[in-house]
Amino acid sequence: MQNPKRSTLGWFWQAVTGALLLLLLGVHFIAHHFIAAGGLRDFNQVIAYLGNPIIIALELAFLVAVTIHAMLGARSILFDLGLSAQWERRVTRGLTVVGVITVLYGIWLIYAILGANSAVAFWAR
Amino acid sequence: MKLSLPENQKLRFLRWFDFRSWRVGMLAYILNRVTAIGLVVYLYLHLVVLSILTGGPTQWDPFVALARSPFFLALDVILLAGILIHGLNGVRVTLTGVGVGVGAQKTLFAALMLVGAVLLLAGAWKIFMG
Amino acid sequence: MALNVTLRMFRYRPDQSARYDMFKVTVPDAANVLDAIEQAWAQHDRALMFRHACHHASCGTCAVRVNGREVLPCIVPVKKYLDGDKPLTIEPLKNFSLVGDLVVDVANFFQKQAASGLVITRPTENKLEGKPIAYDQGLDPASVETVPFNRFENCIECGICLSACPTMAASVKFFGPASLAALERELDKTTDPQRRARLLELADDEQGVWRCHSAWECTETCPQNVRPAEAIMALRRRIFAQRFGFGK
Ligand code: SF4
Repeated sequence: MQNPKRSTLGWFWQAVTGALLLLLLGVHFIAHHFIAAGGLRDFNQVIAYLGNPIIIALELAFLVAVTIHAMLGARSILFDLGLSAQWERRVTRGLTVVGVITVLYGIWLIYAILGANSAVAFWAR
Repeated sequence: MKLSLPENQKLRFLRWFDFRSWRVGMLAYILNRVTAIGLVVYLYLHLVVLSILTGGPTQWDPFVALARSPFFLALDVILLAGILIHGLNGVRVTLTGVGVGVGAQKTLFAALMLVGAVLLLAGAWKIFMG
Repeated sequence: MALNVTLRMFRYRPDQSARYDMFKVTVPDAANVLDAIEQAWAQHDRALMFRHACHHASCGTCAVRVNGREVLPCIVPVKKYLDGDKPLTIEPLKNFSLVGDLVVDVANFFQKQAASGLVITRPTENKLEGKPIAYDQGLDPASVETVPFNRFENCIECGICLSACPTMAASVKFFGPASLAALERELDKTTDPQRRARLLELADDEQGVWRCHSAWECTETCPQNVRPAEAIMALRRRIFAQRFGFGK
């Protein structure tokens, strides 16, 4: 196998994360809009939901997949505007940073939500 | 490779909206792009809104009550429509991209959008009635 | 019988803002749109700029948009568009720089075609049913290999697919449907590993096959059935096969 070029990988990962999202977004949407009574969870229901480590893993996988997909997509749309090589590099770097921050924010969010309900109690179980 | 570039480059992409040239493929292209932008905007709105959860039940529960109102539920249906259009069109792009359904892409698009319409109706019913 | 038709003609000069001129022309019943354009030039305005050569869809020079759709006006009948006394709108191809009226600058496109290796003439395709073609004018059959014959290609380099492509509309850096189809065609022809690698390298680029967003407008509009979109998909499979070792 030769090293695939970044251009190939962009399309490749867009397709892979896209396929994953069909699954993960399906789970996410059904879990939050169709299963939860009344359409959305209140705070206690959210905590109970996040009490399941499998759910946390699924939500994090969803977050990572959706972020990669969104960043690659944004990159593609921006590249379509006919950027100079310099701006193409800037866009790639900028979106990488935005993507990493997004995922970190999501991880922090889960931690903080559970923390609001006592993270200690959660980890001690 | 050195290319001589045409000079009138500004706002070329506005030509996407020359609707006289829209055919199925162009429609799919525009739909995919519009939903893509919409979904990214929604993703970040969603992430920001979720930070309300860190304030505990006193902040989150009033928000949930609001989000259960018909107006917000209607927004959910629009969101679902965006997801279905984008996701199912993505299936077409990926399949044809790896060589499946090449030559039948218009039928593929129509069939997938039909599936999407059915799922949307089912979803809307569930969102409002469930 | 004769047809009376009004052409709503796009007019442009670099130093003027664009406008539409109305030209009423009379053409024979069987006339094609190009005949009507020529009548507008002959009867109304000798300054009208348009391009054509062969009149039978083999030179690819005359491509324009009629009522918003890309066509070769030399082969579409005026009758096809007649709808009461509604005028036919004639405009230049999109996604190219304008030169004047219906004429666009195709230099950028032709440079890409040249880069893809599919040049206008080449020393191949010199056999017919397995036998070398020697046009007998004292031509030594042994030298046939080096004599450039006109290529037998579908693509007439009319630029219609570039005009219809939404990605091309966004960025002129995109290698474009016709040139990618040319790359795929070249890859089919050569077994030289170095040349193959170079051609694949051109295709496997941000501005190559990965810029395509699968609108398939090129395949829809191509008057010669080149199917550029299918070629782009085939190139993607080649690249995957080469880079990841699976697929085609
Ligand atoms: S691929 Fe078809 S539409 Fe494109 S330049 Fe060649 S003949 Fe014209």
